Amino acid sequence: MPDNEHNPYHPMPMHILRAYYESNDRALKTFELAFDKHKDCDEFFRNYNPGQFCQLSIFGKGEAPFGVASAAWESEFVRFTVQKMGSFTQYIHTLKAGDPIGMRGPLGNGFPLEDWKGKNLVIIGGGCAFSTLYALTKHVQHPQNRPDFDQLVVIYGARNSGLCMYKHDIQSWYQREDMELHQAIDVPEEGWFHHVGYVPDVVKDVAPSPNNAVAVVCGPPIMTKFTLPALVELGFAPETIFTSLEKRMKCGVGKCGRCNIGSKYICKDGPVFSLAELQALPNDI
Amino acid sequence: MSEIKVKLKTEIERLFSEDAVDVVIAFKKENAPLRPQPAFFKSVDELDNLEYNSLCQNNLANYLTRYPHDTLIGIVVRGCESRSVNALVVEKQHPRENLYLIGIPCQGIIDIKKIIRKTGEEVSDFSEDEDQVSVTVKGQKVTFTREELLHDSCLRCVHPNPINADVLLSDPLPEGDPAIARQAVEEFEAMDKDERYAWFQHEAERCIRCYACRESCPMCYCTECFVDHATPRWTESNISPAGTQAWHIIRAFHQAGRCTSCGACERACPMDIKMTYLTDKLNEDMQKVYQFEVGMDDETQPPFASFNLDDKKRFVV
Amino acid sequence: MMYILEKKKLDQTLKSWSEKYEVFAPQKVEGFSQFLPVEASGELALTDPHNTRYPPKALFMPQSEALLRYNRRLDRLEEVNTPPKPRLIFGIRPCDAAAVTLLDTVFNTEDNKDPFWAKRRDETILIGMGCVEPPQTCFCTTVGYGPFNTAGLDALVTELDDIFAVEVLSEKAQALFVDFPVASEDQQNQAQAVQTHAEESMAPAFDTTDLKQRLDLIFESDYWAEIADSCLGCGVCTFLCPTCFCFDIVDEVQRNERVRNWDTCMFRIYSQEASGHNPRPTRKERTRQRLMHKYSYWLGHIDKIGCTGCGRCVRYCPVGLDIRAMLRTASTLESERVNAG
Repeated sequence: MPDNEHNPYHPMPMHILRAYYESNDRALKTFELAFDKHKDCDEFFRNYNPGQFCQLSIFGKGEAPFGVASAAWESEFVRFTVQKMGSFTQYIHTLKAGDPIGMRGPLGNGFPLEDWKGKNLVIIGGGCAFSTLYALTKHVQHPQNRPDFDQLVVIYGARNSGLCMYKHDIQSWYQREDMELHQAIDVPEEGWFHHVGYVPDVVKDVAPSPNNAVAVVCGPPIMTKFTLPALVELGFAPETIFTSLEKRMKCGVGKCGRCNIGSKYICKDGPVFSLAELQALPNDI
Repeated sequence: MSEIKVKLKTEIERLFSEDAVDVVIAFKKENAPLRPQPAFFKSVDELDNLEYNSLCQNNLANYLTRYPHDTLIGIVVRGCESRSVNALVVEKQHPRENLYLIGIPCQGIIDIKKIIRKTGEEVSDFSEDEDQVSVTVKGQKVTFTREELLHDSCLRCVHPNPINADVLLSDPLPEGDPAIARQAVEEFEAMDKDERYAWFQHEAERCIRCYACRESCPMCYCTECFVDHATPRWTESNISPAGTQAWHIIRAFHQAGRCTSCGACERACPMDIKMTYLTDKLNEDMQKVYQFEVGMDDETQPPFASFNLDDKKRFVV
Repeated sequence: MMYILEKKKLDQTLKSWSEKYEVFAPQKVEGFSQFLPVEASGELALTDPHNTRYPPKALFMPQSEALLRYNRRLDRLEEVNTPPKPRLIFGIRPCDAAAVTLLDTVFNTEDNKDPFWAKRRDETILIGMGCVEPPQTCFCTTVGYGPFNTAGLDALVTELDDIFAVEVLSEKAQALFVDFPVASEDQQNQAQAVQTHAEESMAPAFDTTDLKQRLDLIFESDYWAEIADSCLGCGVCTFLCPTCFCFDIVDEVQRNERVRNWDTCMFRIYSQEASGHNPRPTRKERTRQRLMHKYSYWLGHIDKIGCTGCGRCVRYCPVGLDIRAMLRTASTLESERVNAG
């Protein structure tokens, strides 16, 4: 990134293109960011891979990491879905189209798509952690990328239908012939005809085959805790199960030391890790 | 001193044998030279490591706030420590009935830094009696008077005897002279505004915001300290005059009417910063204005935490 | 090549170097030594038994440093890259210089090089002072260094009676000493004898064989809770440590700056997440993190122990925790368990 070439802490100037609520409780809001400088845009998409994250920066408020929720082909914007949690995210939620914002990225390792070529993809997401899996799905769906992969199964659970992200687009996935979609909510709702139950149970019901497959799981810790063993039970080897980790971050480039688990930095060696890699790391998450 | 250690061991053994305590907070033998460590004994088998001498420089009351209220805690307390315990009891940080105070009238804590400044660090041995302290440095024995080596706060100590202890392991010592304590404060008060600020600035500028002073202080137990707040941002975290001065002056004011002048903060500081001059002055003010001295019993409410109809209402519009 | 600098010519030499470089040397102010510019009014403290209290890592990464300056409307965003003047650090101890080379592997990388660190590093000459009488709290030889180790140094000084014997190790330093008298064979032998004696005087503090593997095995041990009992959770050990590098980035609104400050894994908020979850909620996890980071994770990263045995954490811990004793106990726990079971 030319602007950051000399200073890795220097954000690229961006501005908000679109901002809209994702969830009916207004705790989730999606922002699509555009680059102020064209060369930043080119450089970004040259390096970007689904599964990566960026540090969004608001001067006077600080920075925080967010997974990128768009695929490179979608256009020259970068999508993030922000959950209102603390003072920084509360402030971001007040931003609207035209407002300036800073961004550093793409950061992290992203999903190992090269290794996944030719395989069946089982994408399992829960709640607001679905954003990078959405990016991954969008990437795979593109006609240029789709032939690289075999079957595509997406399992996406939310507490209730109002909390489901990217509803409009996801609805259209039921019409696609190149993938299987399984949505789930925790308790029955009128007008809901898809799965009802927790994601780990839905995974057991759908029972994706481990043959020539990789599974990616992103969700709240409680969901991941029960989903990973469910996959192991279905016969997935630890090398074929992937997840994305989170920790408090500051520099995002493996220098400030904060996000370590054992000898790995989540911002640099991750955030995507296989279960096999995680099993070799200490229990520090 | 070694007699006291023997009595202490016997008392702790008794407490465990009667199931009267879940843990006893005392000191244990050192690994690093001249550094006995706070210890948390859970059974008599651990007592071989028990230590008690004038190098035991930490205020053990600091550890009380780590335990759930139903823990039965035995704790060694000297004069200032017992007052800190009383202050914590008043602030409801631990019920008094779940505390067993093993009182040891205190002859003062030796300031390790004073020894090291005089002899260098290669000290291999330490011994003491009522009047003298001896250390062995490179094979040579060097002796000092206690007074030469006592920590500055101990030189000004008014209350060496534990207050409200459940047992006393030695005879009470004479109280200190409040005039000596007041003298240091009066010297500070005698400085004019600019001199005071220059002194304050001079001490604060060395600060590296390690917060050893805060962590060693029994009265600093807030789960989130004001310096860690982002919203609102009370002070900057920078090593800068604004940051370090705000830290020192605000922490001092948070201690007004709560600090027992134990000096643990100064002993903990890695940059040898003086800070008790601030809290000693504030404590004097509390005595003058509110006739309040913290920790003299475990019931009296501190002036800033209580209200009664006799309070002066000048500040109320 | 070894040159001789007479002690009585030291002040004059430092002064002459000051014409071209900003010269730093340990000076005693407030009763302890710290690296200050030689123009400061402190008393030079080059030959104290041990290193300065405050670590010289601050000369490469200041404890507080502005990364960016901004104005609130974001229409002016400034870099803060002020080109540093050429500097000369005289009298840095081998442990501190070796620590700088360890931190180079974090900051001075090809990928995402930290420009603040890198620029200062490029512009600085490090002249080390070996430790003639290593204090009992030091343990550099245990972790692979020594009182006259040359890692990171452009030149190394050995104190002999009334002269300093200076071994030049780099071209930068060669240019400084080229006109000095060359050491005689006798003087070289003397220097060697002093160095050997110093090294041999240091007994190993703990066993480093398979240290990473032994520590990894006891990650879940209750021993960490035992250490955490006395630990205050302050920042003394981490801030004074020459190899600790963790930092926080915070926007200080009243300064209009995005600032980097040294941070410590010993504080609870270090790993506190916005959701309320904290992976290291108690002192047990935090003291474990410190020890594991230095003696296991660094080894996992670059196969080097993340400690140069400078002894500051041992000397200045307010509750007398001694990292050497902790490692001795921790690393024998597994073998005890294995022997018992």
